[in-house]
Amino acid sequence: MSNTLWARCLQQLQTELTEQQVNTWIRPLQASEDEKGLHLRAPNRFVVEWVQSNCLDLIREVVAERGPDSQVTLDIGQNSAAAVNVAPEAPVVSSMPRTTWQSGRLNPAYHFDNFVQGKSNQLARAAAFQVAQNPGLSYNPLFIAGGVGLGKTHLMHSIGNAIRARNPQAKIAYVRSVHFVSDMVKALQHNKIDEFKNAYRSLDALLIDDIQFFAGKERSQEEFFHTFNDLIDSQKQVVLTADRYPKEVDGLEERLVSRFGWGLTAAIEPPELETSVAILMTKAELENVVLPQEVAFFIAQRIRSNVRELEGALRRLVANSAFTGEPITLGFAKDALHDLLVVQNKMVTMATIQKTVMEYFKIRMADLLGKSRRRSVARPRQIAMALTKELTNHSLPEIGDAFGSRDHTTVLHACRRIDDLRNTDVRVGEDYKNLLRLLST
Amino acid sequence: MHQLSLDVQLADYAVFESFYAGENAAAVFALQRLVKGEQGVVWLWGNQDAGKSHLLQALIAQAGINGVSSAYLPLGDATMQPGMLEGMGELELICVDDVQAIATNHDWEAALFRLYEELFQTGGRLVVAANVAPGGAGFSLRDLMSRLASGATFRLHALSDKDSVFALQKRAAWRGLNLPEETASYLLTRVNRSPSVLFALLDRLDKQALTAQRKLTVPFVREVLGDQS
Repeated sequence: MSNTLWARCLQQLQTELTEQQVNTWIRPLQASEDEKGLHLRAPNRFVVEWVQSNCLDLIREVVAERGPDSQVTLDIGQNSAAAVNVAPEAPVVSSMPRTTWQSGRLNPAYHFDNFVQGKSNQLARAAAFQVAQNPGLSYNPLFIAGGVGLGKTHLMHSIGNAIRARNPQAKIAYVRSVHFVSDMVKALQHNKIDEFKNAYRSLDALLIDDIQFFAGKERSQEEFFHTFNDLIDSQKQVVLTADRYPKEVDGLEERLVSRFGWGLTAAIEPPELETSVAILMTKAELENVVLPQEVAFFIAQRIRSNVRELEGALRRLVANSAFTGEPITLGFAKDALHDLLVVQNKMVTMATIQKTVMEYFKIRMADLLGKSRRRSVARPRQIAMALTKELTNHSLPEIGDAFGSRDHTTVLHACRRIDDLRNTDVRVGEDYKNLLRLLST
Repeated sequence: MHQLSLDVQLADYAVFESFYAGENAAAVFALQRLVKGEQGVVWLWGNQDAGKSHLLQALIAQAGINGVSSAYLPLGDATMQPGMLEGMGELELICVDDVQAIATNHDWEAALFRLYEELFQTGGRLVVAANVAPGGAGFSLRDLMSRLASGATFRLHALSDKDSVFALQKRAAWRGLNLPEETASYLLTRVNRSPSVLFALLDRLDKQALTAQRKLTVPFVREVLGDQS
């Protein structure tokens, strides 16, 4: 369908409105035209209201040039069948916004095949794979706990995609808990709560991401509790994720916490260096990019927070390489990622490390910088020194100075000791890993 | 007697052609790939006047030419509301400016998160501009921060004096004006060198040159600036 009428309107609007007004309020309009006139669809009521107040008359004038009977309709959303004629005085008729429970789409890009497995995520991956093979039967619910950007959502979509591959008719919904809440509120507002309940309770698999956002939302928890029970009772699969274990989520009702523990809880930890390298190599391969291993190590050693930021660094490298036409080498990577790494380095200072370690071990700054050799103080001090060496560019004498004017050989000893203990003492290994994560996000 | 100028000048709206990329050429290249169909998210950051808003609006203008549905969302504008993001995920390209302005606002962060999810479920593209790198924006929703940081991040560098001369000449040429290097260099020594001030001055010079039927020579510019030195 030709858009010449709308093109004429746009031309006129560009002379009457500012560039920003056009780009913000006019560009999002989707136009179509027929023998009756011009039909405009806006993404939301704010755009409709703005257009009505600021330029609908102008659009009407342009459209009227085609004939006195030509009309302009303006409505919300994609469905032109729901369009209403907008007379100057007519109120905006808002169709109910598209909601997640109506769409519940799975991202086809996420599969078990492209999930890189390592020590940090192998249990969660194995459990997810089991669930995908025997939905509703193996672990129900499956609860995946882990920090931001570590692959929880990837695993969740992989489960959904695998179930759908085996049973194309399966009704599967992937939804974030915040959207569950807002959709429920909308359903209540629009008197469609029964439709909402039925939609969820008729599913074969419900995948809910980041349930920590249910905290404190009692009405939503109540509704989710009943949905959860219905699905589990009828052996439909439920998969949940959160950034922590169920018991650690404040503001979650006890009965929900207890039910979440019925199945299996699997944790995902931040990837260790080798897994980060493998992730980078895999992602590069998927994008047909030649990434030397030394470059992957260079990135993985510097970006420790999560997989998404690793991806970001890789994308920046790829973008620069596409622009210059140069192959990706270590020198190229250092140059291209310079800004990004400067920011990362700036974010972790010696003061930040000392404060974080102090809070983590619940000791005082005076202890951290003092002379005491009690293990409860000396070990955190050694860990803080080792972290400073790993995460900043400070020299050993500088680190020694910052930790109560100690000699650089003391710092060196601390770093070596912690390096050994990370491999032999599980608790030190855990503490170190947790602190690295806290300092890198 | 002055001839009155007709308001027929080319409006100085943002397009790639009038942007002098200088050190920021890789960022411009990445944006142009996005509008040609490459999927993903790009984070641009830099000081005020680094050209972030110009690039975002140039991208929207190019999207219009390419038939790509798009919207420019200036979140630093106090009249904007989180509800404004509803349904925007149906579009193909979204440019969000001044994203740091909504950091720590729960409703805004949740709305932006939802927009991100909707946009990428349908293969959309997102460009975000801020005055800081992703980690420094201060989002409370860490999931949002990590998603926005999952694409290429570019710092837009301020123009050097030499580049400012080129940028002024490029902007002038796009408006159909010939700005000699000598005049551009003279301008840089006489007025505030921030691009917005320089480009606004260029606008003024354009009008006055048309009215006076003069070329943009140093003596003419000196006259306009009222500079007696």
